Amino acid sequence: MTASAPPTEIAVHRVEGGQRPPRMGFFTDTTVCIGCKSCEVACKQWNDLPADTTQYGGRSFDYTGSLSATSWRHVHFVEIAPASAQDREAARAALGQGAGGRLPNIPATGGLAAAREDLDLVAMAQAPLPEGGMDRWLFASDVCKHCTNAGCLDACPTGALIRTEFQTVIVQPDICNGCGYCVPSCPFGVIDRDPYDGRAAKCTLCYDRLQDGLEPACAKACPTDSIQFGPYDELVERAQGRVVELHERGLETAYLYGAGDDGGDQLAGGLGAFFLLTEPPERFGLPAQADSPIQANVPAATAAGLAAGVTAAATAVVSLLLAHRRVRR
Amino acid sequence: MSHGHGRPPEERIREQEGRRVDGRDVTPAVGRRGEPGRWRRAVEGAAVSGFRQRFEDGAWSFLYHADTRYAARRRADGEVPAAAARMRGGTEVPVPVRGPVIRPNVWTWEVPLYFWFGGIATGASFAALGCEVAGDARSARVARMVAVGAAGCGGPLLIMDLGRPERFHHMFRIFKTRSPMSMGAWCLMGFSNTGGGAVLADLLGRRRTARALTVATAALGTYLGSYTGVLLASTAVPAWNRSRAFLGPLFMCTAVASGAAATRLALRAAGSERGHPTRAGLGALETVAMAAELVLSALNERRLGIAGRALDEGRPGRLLPAARALAAAGLALRPLGHRAPVIDEVPSVLFLLAALAYRFGWVGAGRTSALDHEAVAALARTPRRRRRRAVSSEAAGTAPGA
Repeated sequence: MTASAPPTEIAVHRVEGGQRPPRMGFFTDTTVCIGCKSCEVACKQWNDLPADTTQYGGRSFDYTGSLSATSWRHVHFVEIAPASAQDREAARAALGQGAGGRLPNIPATGGLAAAREDLDLVAMAQAPLPEGGMDRWLFASDVCKHCTNAGCLDACPTGALIRTEFQTVIVQPDICNGCGYCVPSCPFGVIDRDPYDGRAAKCTLCYDRLQDGLEPACAKACPTDSIQFGPYDELVERAQGRVVELHERGLETAYLYGAGDDGGDQLAGGLGAFFLLTEPPERFGLPAQADSPIQANVPAATAAGLAAGVTAAATAVVSLLLAHRRVRR
Repeated sequence: MSHGHGRPPEERIREQEGRRVDGRDVTPAVGRRGEPGRWRRAVEGAAVSGFRQRFEDGAWSFLYHADTRYAARRRADGEVPAAAARMRGGTEVPVPVRGPVIRPNVWTWEVPLYFWFGGIATGASFAALGCEVAGDARSARVARMVAVGAAGCGGPLLIMDLGRPERFHHMFRIFKTRSPMSMGAWCLMGFSNTGGGAVLADLLGRRRTARALTVATAALGTYLGSYTGVLLASTAVPAWNRSRAFLGPLFMCTAVASGAAATRLALRAAGSERGHPTRAGLGALETVAMAAELVLSALNERRLGIAGRALDEGRPGRLLPAARALAAAGLALRPLGHRAPVIDEVPSVLFLLAALAYRFGWVGAGRTSALDHEAVAALARTPRRRRRRAVSSEAAGTAPGA
């Protein structure tokens, strides 16, 4: 069920006492996240990353915006306005499609899917008593997923991206030549090339700390343990228990994003850093399905391209032969 | 570095605020880019304080206490995957999309221009092969020079595009069949060597060597002209990803049309008379290739649906129609070629320009497509016809029969 051994890649296998360390990962439980952004700060501090230029857009209190070459953790802030009864019904219907007959329980106070996202935060702050106000405020700390089938790793032509002995995916900064192919190859929009530095950079799951037996900086700093770190199998088991517990308590929309799925439904073969969400993934800028685009498309596309190439070469030969033959006659 | 973003902002802070107080460096820690910070231990080999075997410092949480009811111990078979299927399944996006979902590519003008030169090199290598087979050694020599010249322009462009151009040789650290970028770099290297070797053999008067190397160059050309399309098709960008069966053939058509056109013009410059059969053959070749390109791109755009939205927006929305118009104009002028020597060359020039506009249009579409958050999210909900299983079951390890 859990993806323990990723497909063979170039990997560093540091053997300690004849035993390979287990796959390590993150479990980010968004139901206990308070949006304090400690993880962002801890990540920047430990990894010595520069500040980003931030802008207030008036649409969200989320200043970081997205993961980038200098932001390896990003806490999504999603502000949700109350929905009308009509919107709620529409959302029920839309969600029911994938439900296998079982409709999620949508609370009357706020639409799960129906709630609008078009809050005017400036007006809200200025008005003495905001009309309607905010229904819910969601937080989710996003990070590199350390996929089993990692698109960036498959794309990298230099071998700068490798899988470590902890089965995480890292960029070797002394190898990367900044070709930029990993950037559009990541189905989660995580890895980025720094415009000043020229190299690609992303979360390393604190590889340097792991080698010293320490947990990653963000997990260490998280005050509510929304970010949990540990051996992958243990994390998945605990996360599954958490989902069952939340379902029992009536939060029927709780689900795991990236772990515990059956073979064909896995996201990129299973995510090394997975999430417990209570809203559809699009709320947090996550795709509903994802896979390494390289593994999915390269064989078919290459075959089509080579077939076209052979046809083209043959056409060139034939057209020149015909032209010469016509003259000789 | 090619991308001219200048000095990072934190450098200025470091310079302005950097100072030493009482012999201590109190420069603010404003960070560094591109890699994690490097830490040095006070004593080499010393254990880190807080070190616990097997990450025991991370294994504890107040959440796991008995009184928190954090996680149920009950195992509910199928409940967890069913919950995920409920929220991730379905074909409609049920909520507003909070983008960005994926990142736009960071490539600048060098990449589409390289694609153009690489295409010309490919087409010229096929033209050289055709000339050799047809027995026109003189034209073959010109075509080989066009191929090597174009490939020679492509290499530096590819290096200029890198974030760290001085590390371009890292491309040749490994031979990675899985990565089209790696295979393309090797292919360009091989193509340049065999093509260059053929030109050298021409100069040394080694006819048979030149012929053998021409065949090898054309064989490498079948990949050099199509891999650029494969490379784009193997990304997560919807407009590229969903064109996967078409991008390779499309790019090959553009390559052949532009390569034949360039060779045809080069032959003219080299003094071939107007009615030369090789020029007629190349004229037919470029016409067929451009017509095939128009047909294929029309077919592709019909089936792209929401993923094709990006092709109609912004700069690619202007470049791609311009490319089509140039190609169509060239096709329309082709039958009039016998009337005047000037008109005879016009279609070749138009095809070269059309190819250039196609390259810039397709690469530019990657940006608009990646930033079309609704389309990216909607396509992630749309089931593919065939989901890849082999690798995931291999990775699962515990899967039955694995």
